Amino acid sequence: MNNIEEILWNYIDGSCTPEEQNIIKTLIAEDEAYRLKYQELLILNKEFMAIELEEPSMAFTYKVMEGIRAENALVPLKARINKKIIIGIALFFVVTLVAMLGMVFASVNWSAVSAPVNLTYSVKMPSIDAGKTKIAVDGFVFFDVILALYLLDGYLRKKASARQA
Amino acid sequence: MQSKLSDTELIEQTLAGNQAAYADLVKRHQRFVFTLAMRFTRVREDAEEIAQDCFIKAYRSLASFHGQSKFSTWLYSIVYTTAMTFLRKKRVDTDSIDDENTLIQLENRPTGYDVNNAENKSRSFYLNQAIDQLLPDDATIITMFYKGEQSLEEIAQALGMEANTVKVKLFRARQRLKEKLERNLKHEAKELI
Repeated sequence: MNNIEEILWNYIDGSCTPEEQNIIKTLIAEDEAYRLKYQELLILNKEFMAIELEEPSMAFTYKVMEGIRAENALVPLKARINKKIIIGIALFFVVTLVAMLGMVFASVNWSAVSAPVNLTYSVKMPSIDAGKTKIAVDGFVFFDVILALYLLDGYLRKKASARQA
Repeated sequence: MQSKLSDTELIEQTLAGNQAAYADLVKRHQRFVFTLAMRFTRVREDAEEIAQDCFIKAYRSLASFHGQSKFSTWLYSIVYTTAMTFLRKKRVDTDSIDDENTLIQLENRPTGYDVNNAENKSRSFYLNQAIDQLLPDDATIITMFYKGEQSLEEIAQALGMEANTVKVKLFRARQRLKEKLERNLKHEAKELI
């Protein structure tokens, strides 16, 4: 501790040890200089406590909440996609695959396996209409082309942004 | 009307998706955050921009607030960082605030009071005037200590300093504030004579 003022401020703030507090208390009671300074600082402390806070504009809260809403609207689609949706899509594909496998296995003639000598067996494939197959293949190719273009676009964008950075 | 819920409860509600709860948090802390921003910028428009930015930043990283300190302490650390970044960007020479020229500028600021009507000027008016004349760091520490219900340790945490450094800075800030207050009051007394 350096001077009377510093000692007294620590006493007023309560930031000194109990032993120090007792010593200062005695000093204030017995020493006139300490007592006068202590009273002066107490008045100042009271005044500092009465410092007035500034008032922002009336629309302050509204502006903050608007800013938050605007920021939320700008969040990229990638960040907004719910993980549950992704899990749902994955589940759909898993269920479809299991169903298809089930269909294939259900159409297999397993009785042929039990024959000890004749090992021939017949797998009955589901009948596929030729016209429908062509549409399905065209659709599949079209989807693949779109997907390839989308991925290429993404790759080029990434490359361009990396070059800019 | 402001919410009676605690800061922690309002934060939990905000994280659960209730934006109205965050609006309540903003209403609760806006005056203090704005005042701190004013201590740095001294321009209402800039201070309002900083204060808004702080609340948006706090909302963005609210999930990372784990309640290890008071929400206000965490928020004030955002205010301090944002204000410092703002000042750096604006290239404001904070050291010049003590220059006589600045003092004259501050004294000539429109106050909304009649200069000749000394009766209208309370002692708190002179106190606020004296705070305006302090360095931003001093004014911030004084404001946080007296109006922010922050302990020396909490102020140190918000400002990224040691508690002992804050103690010394607070002592010096109080001395400077006292000097400026006395000077302003003497100046006013001379004008009246």
